[in-house]
Amino acid sequence: MARLQSLRDKPGTAREYETIYILRPNTPNEGVAEVNARIKSVIEGQGGKIIKVDNWGKRRLAYEVAKERKGIYLYWQYLGTAGVVEETERNLRMLDSVIRFLTVKVDTDVDVGARPVEIDETSFEKAATTAADEEDMFLHRGGDEPAGDDDDDFDFPNLDAVEGSKE
Amino acid sequence: MRNDIDDNMDRDGDGRGGKAGRAPTRRKALSSEVLAKVDYKSPQVLKSFVTDRGKMIPRRISGASAGQQRIIITAVRRARMLALLPFSVSGE
Repeated sequence: MARLQSLRDKPGTAREYETIYILRPNTPNEGVAEVNARIKSVIEGQGGKIIKVDNWGKRRLAYEVAKERKGIYLYWQYLGTAGVVEETERNLRMLDSVIRFLTVKVDTDVDVGARPVEIDETSFEKAATTAADEEDMFLHRGGDEPAGDDDDDFDFPNLDAVEGSKE
Repeated sequence: MRNDIDDNMDRDGDGRGGKAGRAPTRRKALSSEVLAKVDYKSPQVLKSFVTDRGKMIPRRISGASAGQQRIIITAVRRARMLALLPFSVSGE
């Protein structure tokens, strides 16, 4: 629901907001893209203008949030009038993969046309790709290795075969 | 009153308050460069304003002015919300 512009704001201007939300660490890239697409449509549906989208990658949380020790941080910067934040946060609250979010008002009375936009077509793609952290890299290297090529591989079904080939 | 003597803090007459015999310590001001970097998104900077346990360092030690301390505490509170800084660290 689009609201009337606040009387505190100069007419024809917008406020600048930053929203950061944290997703569960096991969210796949498609899941991140899904959340991003939804937030994008909400902001634009409310007449907001997105300035920047950034994926900070998977980070260790300073304390446990929703039983998770890590989280994927997404950073958004956008212009909008009163009501954009309300609707954005309502949507974030509904999404199960979002474990925490925070919106900060950065500036008021921003001239929408004069504010340079830092997004292009590739921004949303990039924001949906979470860089693998050390733990992921470690786990993946173990999983991608072809089974049975190493003697100290714990590959129980092939144990007999490996032993047989050694003799 | 019980604290009659203690209420009269300025006993060394230097106009600063504090007990006689102790050299008046000049407050070391916080540089504006550091303060410009204070942002809730940069936990590395904010870490210098909290103890290892995660508590705020008082401005009598950090040297921040009241206004500066307000900027710092706002940033720390936001960073805590985003799990970038701990609320508390419990050690053994």
